[in-house]
Amino acid sequence: MSGARLDRMIWLALPAVAYLAVVYALPLLWLLGRSVTGPDGFTIAQFTAFFADPFSWRVMGNTLRIAFWVTLLSLVIGYPVAIAMARARGLMQVMLLVAMILPLSIGVVVKAFAWQIVLRRDGVISQGLVASGIWAEPQRLLFTEAGLIVGATNVFLPFMILPIYSVVKLIDPRLTEAGATLGASPFYRFRKILLPLTLPGIVSGSAFVFSMAVSMFVIPSLLIGDRFQTLATLTGRSYLLMRNEALGSTTAVILLVIAVSIVVLSTWLSKRVGRSL
Amino acid sequence: MADITKQGFDRRRLLIGTGATGLSLIAMPNIVRAQTRELVIGGAASHKPWVETHVVPMFEKKYNARITFEGTRSLVNLEKMQKNKDKPYLSVVQMDDPVMILAVREGLLDPITAAKCPNVAKLKPGTMHMDGMWANYLQPWQGIAYNTNVLKEPPASWADAFDPKFKGRIIVPSLQNTEGLPNVFMMAHLQTGKPMAEAYKDIDAAFAKLRTLKANLLTAYSQMPQAFSLLEQGEAHMIVGALSSFGMQRRLDGAPINMTAPKEGIFPVPSGIAVVKGGPNIDLAYAYVNELLGAEVQARIAPPTFALPTNVDVPIPPGMPTNATIHPIDWAFVAENRNSWVQRWDREMAI
Repeated sequence: MSGARLDRMIWLALPAVAYLAVVYALPLLWLLGRSVTGPDGFTIAQFTAFFADPFSWRVMGNTLRIAFWVTLLSLVIGYPVAIAMARARGLMQVMLLVAMILPLSIGVVVKAFAWQIVLRRDGVISQGLVASGIWAEPQRLLFTEAGLIVGATNVFLPFMILPIYSVVKLIDPRLTEAGATLGASPFYRFRKILLPLTLPGIVSGSAFVFSMAVSMFVIPSLLIGDRFQTLATLTGRSYLLMRNEALGSTTAVILLVIAVSIVVLSTWLSKRVGRSL
Repeated sequence: MADITKQGFDRRRLLIGTGATGLSLIAMPNIVRAQTRELVIGGAASHKPWVETHVVPMFEKKYNARITFEGTRSLVNLEKMQKNKDKPYLSVVQMDDPVMILAVREGLLDPITAAKCPNVAKLKPGTMHMDGMWANYLQPWQGIAYNTNVLKEPPASWADAFDPKFKGRIIVPSLQNTEGLPNVFMMAHLQTGKPMAEAYKDIDAAFAKLRTLKANLLTAYSQMPQAFSLLEQGEAHMIVGALSSFGMQRRLDGAPINMTAPKEGIFPVPSGIAVVKGGPNIDLAYAYVNELLGAEVQARIAPPTFALPTNVDVPIPPGMPTNATIHPIDWAFVAENRNSWVQRWDREMAI
């Protein structure tokens, strides 16, 4: 493709760029501006006050810990599913895709009421764990960190599976077969062939899931309540309840910086790891 | 075609005729709208059913007006008034009293006077606030909701929630919700043992008592339907600080729950109504407020909302507590301190 033709093709992105500029970039700039504006003009006092409060560190810890576990659990569950989907054929592949995408059409609020049934003391998870002897007596997962992680993983799992699936689809299955004929063990083939080749999908999926998990608002509100604050719930409350725009914009900017940093860092890390594998 | 053209139906006239007809069809709803004035009311989402059933049909017929009811949270209504202060589109707001205080402070309301709303003269004492900036048209009450399958006898005291047998079975409203605030005062009363009027400002005592409830807490809700769903399923045994307007309705719908007024007393959770300063169709806005303060509308809406009427001519509906002590709430004190209580809650009541 010639340079001139490529330049002309770029105009196709104009509607999306214009749309994002209005609904995303401008509000974001306003948010950034608000976080460094005080009664006397420019200030970073809001940030220093935030970081000086031990409670803020606890909130950031809550946010990162939950996002980390949701991302990890989504990866552990989603990776084999993505490979199964990519390798399945015909009706089975369609069924797997539908089974993954259909739950996305159900709202989070509806799902939250379903999780209530699943996660309560006499819910299926508790009953299953008691029946298997892991738990001595029924316990509730509802309004616990574990319950929040299970619920959030349920919502974000497709966003882990789809990028990995799209990468696995592009991998020639004969590569692992060739490894097998050369005597490589299944684990060796996974570590040396499949894992490096699927790394871009893992990074994309992890970036998607982490970004969404770190900023989720409705799911924690419904599954763990307001006794567990994250940066997103603190931001929402600052605007909606406490009417404290300064605090809200500060926490929002910190959340944004954390999310972007983690995504950039994971991309950089995956390139390094990819080269070393 | 030639014949038609000779008779005057040429292409140009046909186009003009079609265009004119089209324009008139498009314009007709505007003409109709011009005759029927619109009143936009900002209220709570939970108000929508009774407003649309008991108020809208009567009002629209009587005043040849059209009502649009925007149901959301009180603070969102406040936000709408603030953002549109220069050109308000809401004419009336139905909001919680603490949010009304914020609206008054920001100069967003017009006072209600007896001259504009004659039914003001019929209101119980203490139901008009801050020189008439808003009035209470109903008083739902707040007590304890309990699961009747689990508790055969209603809880006699607010202190029952602290019994270790209810470990992880108690729900309280979040301080984000208006109904979460009276619990703070009850906790101060329980901790100090002093009369409510003396105890309610002792917030340190309130939080000391609240902290001892942590082991029994299932959650602090911000979504009331979720809390009642947990109570009905038996996961929770009590909602300590439940609204009669929601709890009694669920009981009527067949849910295995009931509401009780404990011995220490209950709290009125007044529902406020106010006129938006500079809002459209201001005369209609006052007419709407007057209707909600009137005996006819209150007699209709008090029973289905399980609330106490504020108009002296309306009898207390059956099923409402008759002998319970009702503790008035110092909303000005609440408005002054709510944010600090929320911050304290985050730190002291965290999981």
